[in-house]
Amino acid sequence: MKKLIGLLMIVMVVAGLSACAPKETLRVFSWGVYIDESLIAEFEREFNVRVVYDEFASNEEMYTRLLSGEQYDVLVPSDYTIERLISENLLQPLDLSKIPNRSGIIPDLVGLPHDPQGQYSMPYFWGNVGLVYNKNNVSLADLEAQGWDILRNPSYAGRIYFYDSERDAFMIALKALGYSVNTTNEAEIQAAYEWLLEMDASMDVVYVTDEIIDSMIAGNKDIAVMYSGDAVYVEIENEDMGFYVPEQGTNLWVDAMVIPANARNAEMAHNWINFMLSHEAALANTIEVAYTSPIQSVFDEVTAEGGDYADYLDSYVPRLGNPLDEAFRYNEDIKKVLSDLYTLVKAQ
Amino acid sequence: MVGSKKAIISSIVMIGGVLLFFYLPILILMIFSFNDSRSLTSWAGFSLRWYQDLFSSRDVASAVTTTIIVALISTVVATFVGTLTAIGLSKSKKIVKDVVNSVNNLPILNPEIVTAIGMMLLFSAMNIPRGYITLLLAHISFSIPYVILTILPKLRSLDPNLAEAAMDLGATPWQALTKVIVPQITPGILAGALIAFTMSFDDFVISYFVTGAGVKNISILVYTMSRRINPSINALSTLMVLVITIVLVLINVLPMLKKKERMPIE
Amino acid sequence: MKLYRSFVQPYLFWMGVFIVVPMLLIVFYAFTTSGNNIISFRFTLDNFIRFGEPIFLRVLLRSLSIALTTTVISILIGYPVAYLISQSNEKMQTLLILLITIPMWINMLVRTYAWIGILSENGLINSFLAWLGLPTLNLMYTDFAVILGMVYNFLPFMILSIYTVLAKLDKALIQASYDLGANKLQTFTKIVLPLSVPGIISGITLVFLPAVSTFVIPKFLGGGNYVLIGNLIETQFITVGQWNFGSAISMIMASVIMLSMFITKRFDQDIEEMQSRKEVG
Repeated sequence: MKKLIGLLMIVMVVAGLSACAPKETLRVFSWGVYIDESLIAEFEREFNVRVVYDEFASNEEMYTRLLSGEQYDVLVPSDYTIERLISENLLQPLDLSKIPNRSGIIPDLVGLPHDPQGQYSMPYFWGNVGLVYNKNNVSLADLEAQGWDILRNPSYAGRIYFYDSERDAFMIALKALGYSVNTTNEAEIQAAYEWLLEMDASMDVVYVTDEIIDSMIAGNKDIAVMYSGDAVYVEIENEDMGFYVPEQGTNLWVDAMVIPANARNAEMAHNWINFMLSHEAALANTIEVAYTSPIQSVFDEVTAEGGDYADYLDSYVPRLGNPLDEAFRYNEDIKKVLSDLYTLVKAQ
Repeated sequence: MVGSKKAIISSIVMIGGVLLFFYLPILILMIFSFNDSRSLTSWAGFSLRWYQDLFSSRDVASAVTTTIIVALISTVVATFVGTLTAIGLSKSKKIVKDVVNSVNNLPILNPEIVTAIGMMLLFSAMNIPRGYITLLLAHISFSIPYVILTILPKLRSLDPNLAEAAMDLGATPWQALTKVIVPQITPGILAGALIAFTMSFDDFVISYFVTGAGVKNISILVYTMSRRINPSINALSTLMVLVITIVLVLINVLPMLKKKERMPIE
Repeated sequence: MKLYRSFVQPYLFWMGVFIVVPMLLIVFYAFTTSGNNIISFRFTLDNFIRFGEPIFLRVLLRSLSIALTTTVISILIGYPVAYLISQSNEKMQTLLILLITIPMWINMLVRTYAWIGILSENGLINSFLAWLGLPTLNLMYTDFAVILGMVYNFLPFMILSIYTVLAKLDKALIQASYDLGANKLQTFTKIVLPLSVPGIISGITLVFLPAVSTFVIPKFLGGGNYVLIGNLIETQFITVGQWNFGSAISMIMASVIMLSMFITKRFDQDIEEMQSRKEVG
């Protein structure tokens, strides 16, 4: 009996010791499957630090967990969430002198509406939203004629995946109806809500998040709403799949790295951001994740003749110059309205 | 006799069917952990790559470590506190017993998700950052009621005057406790510890809501990994199934073997 | 014995903080509004009124009906299996119970995840049907998939609950029944079945409660738009961040469950009363 207690004591001490890491820690909160994992180990070696890499599935989840008290040093939210965090004083301005690699960023991605002075964020990946479709089973003519409304075309009922995200859901409905994604007009939002309700009721649509990627590679359904980066990956793994962005307009988005105001290790956070902006790291990331790189030299390299994504320019290169393509802006009241309506749509 | 043959056949079919139902998904899970491709549905050949991925993944290693350590620590603490409390309860007034039993029933009867959000609200209100500590506190909290519930019946069957008799004979209260009471309820204590360990090891819902800062246990890891098809999950599951089967078989077979040893050839 | 009594005190404190306070907080959040910050709040019934909207009531109804279906199926399958096991010889019983128990020890998420590969469009079942030349079925993301997942996870509890009671049945009672001239069917319906009701009741508790409140099974097998009450609560807390509404939903769900448990317990008591009256009269 005494021996047992002694053994347990030793186990507990060892456990306790192993739980206390002597090195400093960097806590990163980012999307799932959004990094070349070897970069984490490389960063740890180069800066002699322990990296805790946690993942979230949506901006909303990230925000809620942040507010419920979780502490991180680096976050990678989307543009409109960054706007929200800035407006709520939850971010700290970056010390640009510690991020020399920012000179490599594609000029169009600097000074965007969510962070006009580029003080708070550094781009990580960017892209748009579109429809991945099975070229054998879905006619391109239908896509070109109907755009987002193809999601309510009865001949495709039961063969559609929808991305489970409230912003993208309303974006699609609003664009299909010809409205702005950032509208504050109640009637327009109500119309979009009804558009979604009708789609949900008549089309037997399945709402998934990341499962959509493997499912479309397996060809389980014929149409899926997907982010352009995931579309690249699907196209590579399944030749039957194509990517189409409706002319009605879509959401042009940027995910960027930011540092929370209450970050415990802001110094190392800057190192992480700078590291991710380097040509080598950005190249590794875009090769691994297939999302579009914000670094000019990397972008040029992979889209050039013979580059890794030269054959997938339709999904890898987000459409620029279409005035109907919009970025999301943050509006607190509208966000609550959309949230509540989306809960209702899904609960049908 | 024809009737009972029919009965036996239909029994076998029924039980066999249910066992098939239980084990088929697990078998398929295990088979596809050796699949050479990323698919869960089409076989591409035999490969150990997912096991290699599993062992080289830092996430998996840290989740397994976290699960085991949290289970061990929470079991030790819960068993210790639970045992002492149960002993104290058995000597307490009825009203104390009733109050403790009723409150203890709350986490047992409540759906897990309610206990989970209650804890989440508590840690948020107390401003405790979510992570290892909150995970540990939560696991200890939901284990103790089960330990007490397991030990109390054993205590009730004890002679209430034993401890007093020991003290009359010169033992200190502590000696009476450790040398008289505890040895008698050891089976109950071990059973309680086992339940506490199992509940902690297997827990998902409560852990999911109270953890943070990247601290994950195996269940949470499976939950986050399952968004993408990842046969490493199959590999991890296969290993878990093997370990569990071996342990359970040992537990059940060893006593029978011991009996055989004691009974030499008749 | 005063020393021993004092052992209870540390736990009384722990219990108060970690069991009682959380419940009080849920009630508090349910009846207040504005912010997850505990400082600024005002009392309101808004959260409960909001749940009264038909859409949410439908979610509750759907959860209850799925849980009920799962429970009924578990009884229909579980009782015969438990009975058959209890009728076999001792070695067989130990073996069979062991076989039933092993899957229970495997992580619930893993067990649910296992069905994805079987039910999906190119999964085992559809591949088999295609091989036979039959049309494929749409199994994933349906009521069928969710109920299947629930039965798969909870059936062992029902089997074990009923078996425990059946195994303890006094064989002498059954023998006496045969001696008095009853056949197998009569013995079963008038002796075995009524005496095994406590097992069924505890099995119902072990199946219905988790079935109503689970969110993992509907999430894995039902898809994002398959919203049961557990999913609703989870999204309110993790994704949407409306803790007040989430707490109100939890209270409503907990009350519904307590009500069903109460009704079930009364049913159990009524049956016992009827039995004891029969014995006396």
